This record gives sequence, C-alpha cells and structure tokens, in this order.
Amino acid sequence: MNLYEFEGKNIFKKFGINTPKSVLLRRTDNVGEKYDELGIKDVVLKAQVLSGKRGKNNGILFVGNASEAKEATEKIFSNNIRGQYVAAVLMEEKLEIVQEHYLSITYDTNKKQPVLVYSKEGGMDIEDVPEEKIQKQYFDIRQNEIESDIPFAKELWKCFLQSDARVVEINPLVITGSGEKIAADAKVALDDDAFFRHKDWEFEPRTMLGRLPTERESAVGKIDEGENYYRGTAGKYIEMDGDIAVLFSGGGASIANMDALMQVGLKAANYTEYSGNPPREKVAQLAKLVLSKPGLRGLWIAGGVANFTDIAATFSGIIDALDEVRPAYPIVVRRAGPNEDEGKRLMRECAQRNSLNLKIFGKEVAMGATVTALVDMINKK
Amino acid sequence: MSILINKNTKVLVQGITGKEGQKAAAAMREYGTQVVAGVRPGKGGENVDGVPVYNSVKEAMAAHPDISTTTIYVPPFAAKEAILEAIENNIAIINTIVERIPIQDTAYCLAAAKEKNIRLIGPSSLGYISPGEGRVGVVGGPKVLADEVFQPGSIGLISRSGGMTNELSWQIRKAGLGQSTAVHVGGDLLMGTTYTDLLKLFENDEQTKAVIIFGEHGGGYEFEVVEMIKNKEFTKPLAVYVGGKFADLFPEGMNIGHAGAIVDRGQSAEEKEYALKSAGTLVADTYEELVKKIKIFA
Repeated sequence: MNLYEFEGKNIFKKFGINTPKSVLLRRTDNVGEKYDELGIKDVVLKAQVLSGKRGKNNGILFVGNASEAKEATEKIFSNNIRGQYVAAVLMEEKLEIVQEHYLSITYDTNKKQPVLVYSKEGGMDIEDVPEEKIQKQYFDIRQNEIESDIPFAKELWKCFLQSDARVVEINPLVITGSGEKIAADAKVALDDDAFFRHKDWEFEPRTMLGRLPTERESAVGKIDEGENYYRGTAGKYIEMDGDIAVLFSGGGASIANMDALMQVGLKAANYTEYSGNPPREKVAQLAKLVLSKPGLRGLWIAGGVANFTDIAATFSGIIDALDEVRPAYPIVVRRAGPNEDEGKRLMRECAQRNSLNLKIFGKEVAMGATVTALVDMINKK
Repeated sequence: MSILINKNTKVLVQGITGKEGQKAAAAMREYGTQVVAGVRPGKGGENVDGVPVYNSVKEAMAAHPDISTTTIYVPPFAAKEAILEAIENNIAIINTIVERIPIQDTAYCLAAAKEKNIRLIGPSSLGYISPGEGRVGVVGGPKVLADEVFQPGSIGLISRSGGMTNELSWQIRKAGLGQSTAVHVGGDLLMGTTYTDLLKLFENDEQTKAVIIFGEHGGGYEFEVVEMIKNKEFTKPLAVYVGGKFADLFPEGMNIGHAGAIVDRGQSAEEKEYALKSAGTLVADTYEELVKKIKIFA
C-alpha cells in the first residue's frame, strides 16, 4: 500500500527522523483556525496524493497569511493532480533550504537485498540525477542496525525493517541554514502481505486511480479478509471505464487476457482475477459484484488449463451470480482443468435455464483466442 | 536429462498434515516422485498415506539423509521459520508454494540460503515438472490431466504464473512437442530462482533445445536475460512473452496482477520487450505465439 506523505512522515517521526512542523487539513476543516494552530507565518501547502508530480501541477503552494492559506487550500482541493485524488492538504512550516539531498531504501530485485540510495543532489527525480552523483550501498536484511555517516540512514533502516516497507524515500532531505536535517517529503510503500503483524495498520481507503475506491471495489476488498485471507484469492477488483466485464483466473492469465482484450479493441469494465482454488462462496460474491456494474455489453470468463483449481466448484460460484443476474449480453467462457466436464455441464445448464447467450470453450482453443468469439457475438447483436 | 529433478530425487514435505501438503504429497507420488518424509511439529511418528511424519526437519534428515529437495506447505506467517529450518539442515533445493509471504521474510531467507549455496524456488511457486522424471509441487494437477499436457520433449519452460505454466505446456503439447522441464518461478517481487538461474541450467541440459519464458511487467528480471544473451552465456533459441501492456494505463507504483507486477518506470512490458528484441530474442505479441515462434528449433 502506498502511503500519503503525512502518513509516511508520521511513521518517520516514530523512528527519530525529523519532519517539519505541520497540521493536516481535510476538506471540511477551517483553514484559518488550523493556520493559527500551527502558529507559523510562512507556510507551504501540499496536496496529499499517492503518485505524480505535485510541484509542476500546482499541488504545492507557498503562502504568508491565513486568508492566502484559505484560498490556496481551496485551490489545491479543487485541483486534480495528474489524475490523482487530493485526500488532504498538509500545511507545513516553510523551511530555509540550503541543501537538498536524496535518501531511500528499497529492495533491489536483481541482488535480492535492500539497497540504500543517497545523493547530495536531491529535490528531483533520482532517475534524473547523474549516475556518478549517486551512492548505492547494499545491506544484509538480517542486520537490525547499520553503520553509516549519511544523515538519517540508520533511522531510515530501522523504519524500513520495522515498518515492513517496500520503499522508504526522503526527497528532499533538507539541510537548513542552521544545519538542521529535515525530511521535507516522505514516500512510503508498505508490504500488503505483512499486515498480520502490524495491528496498528489502519489507513483510510484509497486507490491510485485519482478517486476514492468505488462501492464495488470496497465490497470486493472485503471478500478475502479474515483469518483465511491466504486461502484462495477472490478479492481483486479494479473498476475501469469500459463495458466488458471480466472474470479471469490466475494472475498471469489475467494480464495476458487484459492485453488480448486491448488488442481487439474492447474495453474492460473491470480488472479481476481469482486464483489459488478459492471456495464457491468467495467466487460467488466476487462474480455478483462484477456483474452488478451497469451498462455492460459482454462478459469474458477466462483462464488457462488449471493445475489444481476445481473448475466445477469455482464455476458454481459464477453460476450463482449468473442465475441471479441473468445477463442479456453475450458471454464467452474458456477454462480447462480438474473437474472441467462437470463444470462445463453446470455452466451449460445455467445458460439453458436462463436463456443466456453463452459460448463455452475448453483447452481445444487457446485462451486468448476466445476473445474473438466475444467480439463476433457482440457485433452480431 | 532434465533440470532440477530426476527419478532419484528424494523429497520432503514440510506441512504434510495440512490439506495442501497432503494434496501435494499425493500429487508428487502419483507422478512417480519419491516423497520420503514429511514434517509437522507435534505429529512425529504419524504417517500420511504411508509417508512417515517427523517433528522437525532435523529428525527427518537423520532418518532420510538422502533428501535433496523440500517443499513448503505452511501458512504465510510460518513460512520464514520453515524455510530457515530447511536451510539450517542443508537441503539443496527448497520449493515454496506459499503465497503472500512478507517481502522482508523472503529477503531474509534468500540471504541465508545464498550463504550456503541453497536454491530457493519461489515463493508462490507451484513447483516444477520434468515429464517422465517426476515433479516437485503440484504443477500439472491430477496425473490423468498432467498426462494430457506433459510429455518428454525438448522445450524448457519458465513462467511467472502457475496457471500459464500449465496453459503454455499445453500449447507446447498441442503443437506436437514436449517439455524438458517446466518451472513455475512465482510472481513475487523477489524471486528465489530467476529466469537467468534457470537459463544457465537449460543451457547445459542436452535435452533442452529451446526455451520459452512467460514474463510480466514489473521487476528487472528480463533485463538480466538480455545481459546474459549479450554475454553469450545463453545461446539456445529463446521466445519470450511479457504480459501487462495494458498496465501502462495505470499510475506508477500501482500493483496489478501478481505481487511483483508493479507499474514502474523502466520496467514496463514494452521496455522489456524492446530490450529483449535488441538481444535477438524471439518476442511474441500474444502468449499463443510463443510456441509458433519456437517450433522450428524443437
């Protein structure tokens, strides 16, 4: 999960990394009161977004009194920073910047260990800093502490480990006129798979899609919650602009099929995959939510030749939804694997009793190729 | 020949008394693999379908010193401990099916494994299969279905996706070919065994004449393949499909697909394909094309 700057800074503070004095502004807050609460004349107002460049898109504004602060805050809230939803505005003391450094720790996937990246030329994208001005140090993940002269490196290491972060980045790491070191920004991504050992991880709902999660997204997200969260996944749903509903099986098949859909010019209404042999109930909940989107023109249910996923059981979940919704639009199914004959029989029966316009394929046709059948059925209508 | 496994491989199942562990032990044995022992703390002395269960890896190794491969079937929060136990007992290959292991735990295990030159395949790996030799894990599913998909042949297969390991193996079979070894490396951010690790093995495997890779956006593993080919360390025909072109619709930092499939600058499907093409790799626009591209070399 990607965190907002203010959330990242709250974590930094726990590990002894200095951050600017600040207050957080929500849409309903009285900006004047908050300005007085902070009690600093010159402040900076920063849009709280999950991705994108704020500085170049009016997401960071400097002001010197309460009425300016009010005006600027309204401006930032009404903005859409490169497609990103502004969740809050962070009001901070304006720093007297003498130097801007860069510091981050993340996983190097090639070396399979954490890498600390430091540069005295911060404040811009690290990708734009010349190679010779970047210092890289690899550390053994098994070390609880590291030795380093780099400002905040020791603190950031502890933060990275103890927070189960995937990325921690301070850019810029500001050195002020009085020689103080302050994390002026925070980029933190937490490991979603470590939540079980962080009971304190309670964050507001979010997406990276420039909006809050839709009702369907929130509902699907709950399917995998609870003690058995790792037993069969059915909780992945991203709502998209298109009109073709998809129910894909497996992470790999899902991305290959999304590519195939794009190649034939169809637009997905959602991105969804279930995998790891989820029980019928989980699949039924997911399928009902996928089919609940208005304005659908087609449904593509597709997966590869399954290893151990029970096709009859997972199809039964989808059938529960089809029986309820009884879609009038074309449906194409492609799947093979354990219990496929039974699964297909159940699907055919469902199509018959609900008079569905449904075509079903097994492994005799390649998975990706079945999208053309859907195109034909849609065009025939 | 084959890579990673042969008829003599002796396998341990950690977490053998659980539902998934039992299923995996049965799947391996059904395919002719020697599952000689299982581990479940507190259940030592019992057996699962005739396979003896021990309290610890140490006890299992004492009774079966020729175990060379272990498979991990435990919940994600217990995975680190189970893998480290296998490493402490010097088992050469560790296949981890467990999904959703925290990245930090995987990194920790990989650091410990590296010191002892132990190979970790996974996490989130359904395993690997060498038709006619055996399988580790559950790739291919029940034997009657696996036999429809797998037959000994000359194509090596590496896939980030378990479903696509089987689907692509089927495409290979449908084209009248067979597989040398098909490996599901898993879709996590950190891969214990990478494409290049396996390409090294396939390069030296006489049975393997060509290799297929199913890759995905995110991570830099495909670029290692490019380097390897440029350095002439892998010289056999290679066809690659990199899924996730649609993912460019989404902002940087967003995860879509497997855990390792994170939208990132420099790691998109297009950028990977471009680099692979420049190294002379056969790049397929759709996964179905992979087999068509490789067929003449089989």
